[in-house]
Amino acid sequence: MSGNPGAILEVRDLATQFDTLDGVVRAVDGVSFDLERGETLGIVGESGCGKSVTALSILRLIPPETGRIAAGSIRFEGEELTTLSEEAMKRLRGHRISMIFQEPMTSLNPVLTVGTQIAENVVRHMGVSKKAARERAREMLDLVRIADSKRRLDEYPHQLSGGMRQRVMIAMALSCDPQVLIADEPTTALDVTIQAQILDLMLDLKEKTGTAIVLITHDLGVVAETSRRVVVMYAGRKVEEAPVEALFDNPLHPYTRGLMRAIPRLDVDAEEGGRRPRLQEIPGMVPLLTRPIVGCAFAARCSLATERCRAEPPPVVDAGGGHTVACWEVTP
Amino acid sequence: MTVLAVDRLVKHFPIHGGLLQRRVGAVKAVDGVNFAIAKGETLGLVGESGCGKSTVGKTILKLIEPTSGRIVLGGEDITALKPGAMWPHRRRIQTIFQDPYSSMNPRLSAGTIVGEPLENFDIARGRERDERVAALFERVGLRPDSMRKYAHEFSGGQRQRLGIAKALSVNPDVIVADEPVSALDVSVQAQVLNLLIDLQEELGLAYLFISHDLAVMRHISHRIAVMYLGRIVELTDKRTLFARPLHPYTEALLSAATAPDPRRQRRKRAIVQGDVPSPAKPPPGCHFHTRCPYAVADCKVKDPPLREVAPGHHVACHLR
Repeated sequence: MSGNPGAILEVRDLATQFDTLDGVVRAVDGVSFDLERGETLGIVGESGCGKSVTALSILRLIPPETGRIAAGSIRFEGEELTTLSEEAMKRLRGHRISMIFQEPMTSLNPVLTVGTQIAENVVRHMGVSKKAARERAREMLDLVRIADSKRRLDEYPHQLSGGMRQRVMIAMALSCDPQVLIADEPTTALDVTIQAQILDLMLDLKEKTGTAIVLITHDLGVVAETSRRVVVMYAGRKVEEAPVEALFDNPLHPYTRGLMRAIPRLDVDAEEGGRRPRLQEIPGMVPLLTRPIVGCAFAARCSLATERCRAEPPPVVDAGGGHTVACWEVTP
Repeated sequence: MTVLAVDRLVKHFPIHGGLLQRRVGAVKAVDGVNFAIAKGETLGLVGESGCGKSTVGKTILKLIEPTSGRIVLGGEDITALKPGAMWPHRRRIQTIFQDPYSSMNPRLSAGTIVGEPLENFDIARGRERDERVAALFERVGLRPDSMRKYAHEFSGGQRQRLGIAKALSVNPDVIVADEPVSALDVSVQAQVLNLLIDLQEELGLAYLFISHDLAVMRHISHRIAVMYLGRIVELTDKRTLFARPLHPYTEALLSAATAPDPRRQRRKRAIVQGDVPSPAKPPPGCHFHTRCPYAVADCKVKDPPLREVAPGHHVACHLR
């Protein structure tokens, strides 16, 4: 099963479903990718594409009352996570695999001090004394460049700014030296100057600790400036995967191409003779995920689509150099 | 031709405290802002959260009363007008929000929502109103037969089209657009930005476009004003702003923003440290001096005025 010796995390044919009043939602529908040791992998897509559910599935945080991992395999250092006991998962989460979210306020406990929360995690997973854990917490605050760390240990989350709270989340996530950090839209709620600080911090710490990062975002700019490889998702499926340069220089899937032409550019002067150019629109809407999609999920919005695209799932085409695309019509 | 001008606009929100709830301070949300917008022009107002950009928009719309300063709409000073006297002017300035859904009555049909201003301003009723609404639906890219649907039956992008149709219904001169595409996915965002540009070119609308997103700003604006803690720190045409930013804060914003180009991974970013200070206690002198890498002694005590350093290029900095 274990195909890629460099991979620390191997996701194969993952399918995650939720029960709703409208039927079963196929939020993730057969997604595969590898995360290599120490690398940053970006997962990008628009709302509802399944990128966050993929992250929650890896951590086995899908609420059992409404959802389930219906098929597929998730291997972490060769160990199958989909069938692991909840006790074993608890030992793993926050220790060897940890996670940071978009809104740190919802993941921090408002009635505990920052120091207590970080130390709690360290005591639980590393089995050290409270005193040593508190020292570790202070070290971590220094590491995420929170000034005056000793005083900050005794502060509550509401006393910190949004950027500082995200730093505390990162400190907590890295406090037990995880091999994998899953970051779900970690800078989306932050202002531009603070986003730059947090992204720089994450990449810097990755260099220092060797932690591999899965960075989930809707923002192509964030992906371009942080990731080594990128997975593009649409309607619960992976449509393209490539090294970051290849993806931005030569996007192959019609959806990826559409996305790149739809975004206004910060870095280029796009005006033609003083006129503002039109952005390319992607017509139509994302398909409903309550009905099984027979062919390609993008076919209904794709200008290249043929009968075959609507009838049969697209093959995965290898464009070489780690660049793959799920499409009938594109020839690399 | 100037359609909207603000002159030394100030909005302070009082802070009350203590046993007697006396006034103990003020949040200086807008602290002396000047600009003018011409017919057919988009002025972008960009800045980070708490910089006062949305308060500028609300004050101009007279949803909140300014503390001081002047708002001139189509040559008339509307600053001191009471709600009754303001009424005829409201037709000329309309707004679109980030989340149009929150301003739509869930029990009314989409057609009724869009047609409401036509009745309120006594422009059209009955059949004529319905015909106008149908034409508006078509103009913003919605099917006229969806007039009978309710707001919740529309997607996010379609709701923003409804909000635009409603704003257009009374033929305004100025539209204040506060983060109108921030909640939308990129593919839908492109549709709405294209629509806004088309409508402007067709109808000669003036836009005050408020956003935190520099890429969107660069796309839609003609001129851009950068705000920091209640003040405009730089104001110029967009080409100059992106090619030769003069204020250190503008420089920092442009450097911090990400772009879809992997080659930028290796660039050296000028990252400003620290957080934005509270607008209740803005630093003395230049508000940006606490985070500015170039600050000198003067910056901590003297307010830099917004000066025109080149034709049309205004900057508030002692060093430039």
